[in-house]
Amino acid sequence: MTANSKKNSGGFQSKATTSIFYEAPSKNNPYVASTRYLHGYDLFQLIQKRSYVEVLFLLFQAELPTVEQVKIIETIMVACMNPGPRHPAVRAAMNAGVSKSNHEHILPIGLMVLGGAEQGSTEVERAIHFLLENSSNTPEQTAKLLSLKPKTEEGDWRIAPGFGSIYGEIDPQVDELANYLAQLSGTGKNLSWGQQFVESIREQKVGWLISGLVAAVLADLGFGAREAAGMFQLISSPGILAHGLEQTHKPIFAMPLLEDENYVVKSEK
Amino acid sequence: MSLNRKNNRSGTEFWDNRRNKIVSTVGGWKGGEDVVSHGYSLMNELLGKKSYMQMIILNITGRLVDENLAKWFEGNFIGMSYPDSRIWCNQVGAYAGMTRTTVVAATVAGILAADSRAYGGSQTSLLGMRFIQNALKEYMQGKSIEEIVSKVKFRNNKPIIVGYARPVAKDDERIKPHEKMTSNLGFNIGDHLSLAYKISAYLEQSYSLKINIGGYTSAFLSDQGFTPDEVYQIKALVVSSGVTACYLDNYNKPIGAFLPQRCDDISYNGIEPRELP
Repeated sequence: MTANSKKNSGGFQSKATTSIFYEAPSKNNPYVASTRYLHGYDLFQLIQKRSYVEVLFLLFQAELPTVEQVKIIETIMVACMNPGPRHPAVRAAMNAGVSKSNHEHILPIGLMVLGGAEQGSTEVERAIHFLLENSSNTPEQTAKLLSLKPKTEEGDWRIAPGFGSIYGEIDPQVDELANYLAQLSGTGKNLSWGQQFVESIREQKVGWLISGLVAAVLADLGFGAREAAGMFQLISSPGILAHGLEQTHKPIFAMPLLEDENYVVKSEK
Repeated sequence: MSLNRKNNRSGTEFWDNRRNKIVSTVGGWKGGEDVVSHGYSLMNELLGKKSYMQMIILNITGRLVDENLAKWFEGNFIGMSYPDSRIWCNQVGAYAGMTRTTVVAATVAGILAADSRAYGGSQTSLLGMRFIQNALKEYMQGKSIEEIVSKVKFRNNKPIIVGYARPVAKDDERIKPHEKMTSNLGFNIGDHLSLAYKISAYLEQSYSLKINIGGYTSAFLSDQGFTPDEVYQIKALVVSSGVTACYLDNYNKPIGAFLPQRCDDISYNGIEPRELP
């Protein structure tokens, strides 16, 4: 089944290599796959016998999840399904929708905005690095060190990637979600470390951000930083799409366009 | 130090002051009258009087640069517009042509692909300019080129420096035309470019590597006073034309005509077929 790949004169491989998916060619046409295998499992059997979440986990982890792992992933998938109509990524999709962008562009537009280092997937990636880099310190030690950082004068403060305030407060929904996840069986050391860390910074009105919580949970499930960042985009997609498409059915004036008096220009030559 | 920091914000005032209000330090539109960019009237001072490249640089940096500098950028954009679908970003455009996306989706996807630390001219300029600007500071402080190079990351015993990865055996065909353009437009070789040539000569002698267009561009634009971030921003679209060309090259071809793959054109090295529990 394994096809060899050779290097060309520029040092580039002659074929792409994957350990994820094998397509067995049909006898009569080498371009058509007769059977497809996902990490060794016949895709058609997976279709018949396994849930979407199980196969999603298999796709990234090469093994099927335990019952506990399925519960944890489903929990964060439901929690992240809709970032809500005030999230910048969703607002971008809604703007595109109401302004008559092509419908197939709505989700990519929102996902590009969700790629950012603030409230986005890059924040998830950085949060995993933060958790891993600090795992040998006690949460209290890290909190003490970070508390020496100058606090932003205006707006929200990010004490560390994935941890901060939302409109000056600890996000109560994320806090509740973290407590719920923490009592599920199968969660791991990153979530536990993060829970102690947020207790150490709580007095400063900063806590878990959804990006940090997703980072901790996915790291505990064995996802790498890059994979977790992408997963965050994936599991946030339904809400971005739904809100964006909702606006496509409305007239262009169904969303605000500020009057001149509310648009102030402060620029000079 | 106490962890109990004083919260210097008072309630939600910060956000209340910004609800339904935009304060721009860039510019804006006054319906039916004019548009302003960094204090310049778009309709009276820019349209028909300045080049599009000058406008791009003004919108990004707030500076209306000299016509010749804008021409230099335009030449650089031409030099990055390879209509060759083997190049990664262009291949993205070609795949978009194969699936018949809109031209805008194809071009945006290609630009996004070229937002790369390995190639593409935008993010690589950011990295290349950081290197050469830092290198010049160290050089002026008395460090030798050998010392400067020794501090960068190495792979397979060769230094990894954005802008200096060209194997000696393969000249970068873009450098000579850029040098000619630089001279024709009246620019001199500044401190950054001068140092870049010295670094290239050292790398050529010691590691069989030399400067490529990224290294040249980074040094030249550093000499013109740009920050790495500004050039990253200005060159965000630098590959767009090549991407669009490769999209169009495939848009009208028969379905599946671009680089078709047999099943065994993908090398599989994963788990062998197994029974589903």
